[in-house]
Amino acid sequence: MTTSTPQHTNSEIEQHVLRFIEQHTKKSWDVDTDLFASGAVSSMFALQLVMALEKTFDISVAGDDLKLDNFRTVTAMVALVRRLRDEDSGE
Amino acid sequence: MSDELSAASALVTELVGDSAGEWDRAGRIPVELVRRLGAEGLLCAEVPARFGGRGWSSLDNGAFTAHVGSLCSSLRSLMTSQGMAAWAVQRFGSAAQRAHHLARLTGGELVGIGFSEPGAGSDLSAMSTTIRVDGDTVVVDGAKVWLTGAGYADLLVVVGRFGDGAAAVVVPTDAAGVSISPVPDPLGCRAAGHSTVGLRDVRLPLDALLSGAGQPMSMLVTTALTYGRVSVAWGCVGILRACLTAATRHAATRTQSGKPLAGHQLVAGHLADLLVAEQVATRVCEHASRCWDDSSPEMVTAAVLAKHVSATNAARQASTAVQVLASAGAEDGHVVARAYRDAKLMEIIEGSNEICRLVLAEHALAVAS
Repeated sequence: MTTSTPQHTNSEIEQHVLRFIEQHTKKSWDVDTDLFASGAVSSMFALQLVMALEKTFDISVAGDDLKLDNFRTVTAMVALVRRLRDEDSGE
Repeated sequence: MSDELSAASALVTELVGDSAGEWDRAGRIPVELVRRLGAEGLLCAEVPARFGGRGWSSLDNGAFTAHVGSLCSSLRSLMTSQGMAAWAVQRFGSAAQRAHHLARLTGGELVGIGFSEPGAGSDLSAMSTTIRVDGDTVVVDGAKVWLTGAGYADLLVVVGRFGDGAAAVVVPTDAAGVSISPVPDPLGCRAAGHSTVGLRDVRLPLDALLSGAGQPMSMLVTTALTYGRVSVAWGCVGILRACLTAATRHAATRTQSGKPLAGHQLVAGHLADLLVAEQVATRVCEHASRCWDDSSPEMVTAAVLAKHVSATNAARQASTAVQVLASAGAEDGHVVARAYRDAKLMEIIEGSNEICRLVLAEHALAVAS
């Protein structure tokens, strides 16, 4: 897949993800807080998060990558996005 | 694309003809007809072209789904199942699994997808079907109820517990340990092949396990159901259109007390209600499909909203249509009689009215409080 989206830095990715979560949960989050253990995040929201990451960063999160550990914290999501984008540009 | 959509709609109109009532009474659609639509890629028309599918947008497939739903909700239910199973494969499968299974699902093979169990309906977290790896095989044990299309299927996508999380596995219906018995007399969608499925020590090669194994149950279920909700919602638009057509035709031609029924204001009021319901459902479905086509995160709640609005409108207005047609429509197999029974099931399937309202209330608290 070719993409015209600019290369995001890790901190830009982090800001995007945090902003999305904060908009939906109406509270601020630490990048290493377990979103699901907190009880503030539902399965509907988890799917919205997947959709948001895919759309914002032009990646496809499928198969193995859908495991919860990849979405547990903002830091984990940044790592996922980074890896999928790097794999994509390496093709 | 619109030519392709018109051609597909014309094909279904021709294939269904005036048989939907007969299929409803017999509880069966000729399987070769269903296979034909499957081989045309029309049972899951959103599968991308690179996997052998039609690659339609959700908006186009929605218009097609409504058309099929206006003719026969049983056939539309089979589309919903095939589409949901294909979506689950596309979402959870590895690249090799996607290529392999999606070619089959757009090549004439039929598939159902199983969530509900005797002890797990609205609370799917109570699912007790297990999927486990034993050496070089994957083993499935459990039971599914009301599995749509199982009476026709070559394959079933079975969702179950997998360790601490959930997984989906592709089970051939002729595998040892699989038993399928039709629901004897379903209230609605009588020809949709609803069946109880037993899975007893079903052993399959490891690659039957879709690669996204181990994700949380709620995540897996929500992902698959979101497609199903949009599809059911459009199917309900079809039910509403069929009811609107039948009711207006009857009211315009049947005369009582010296004037057409439509000239009686209380009947005219019913026609207005039918039109409003059909229009509202169409608009809310279009919104959900646009969200889907834009990959908007809003699609998750938009799908629930569309399903809820369309199903409740269809159930209420199918009852209105029977009221307008009265004795002319009060016969099994008649379009409004089918609509009346089929629409009621749409208030139950893919998230009951109550579950939809809980989700929508949660969404309201999140965005509006």
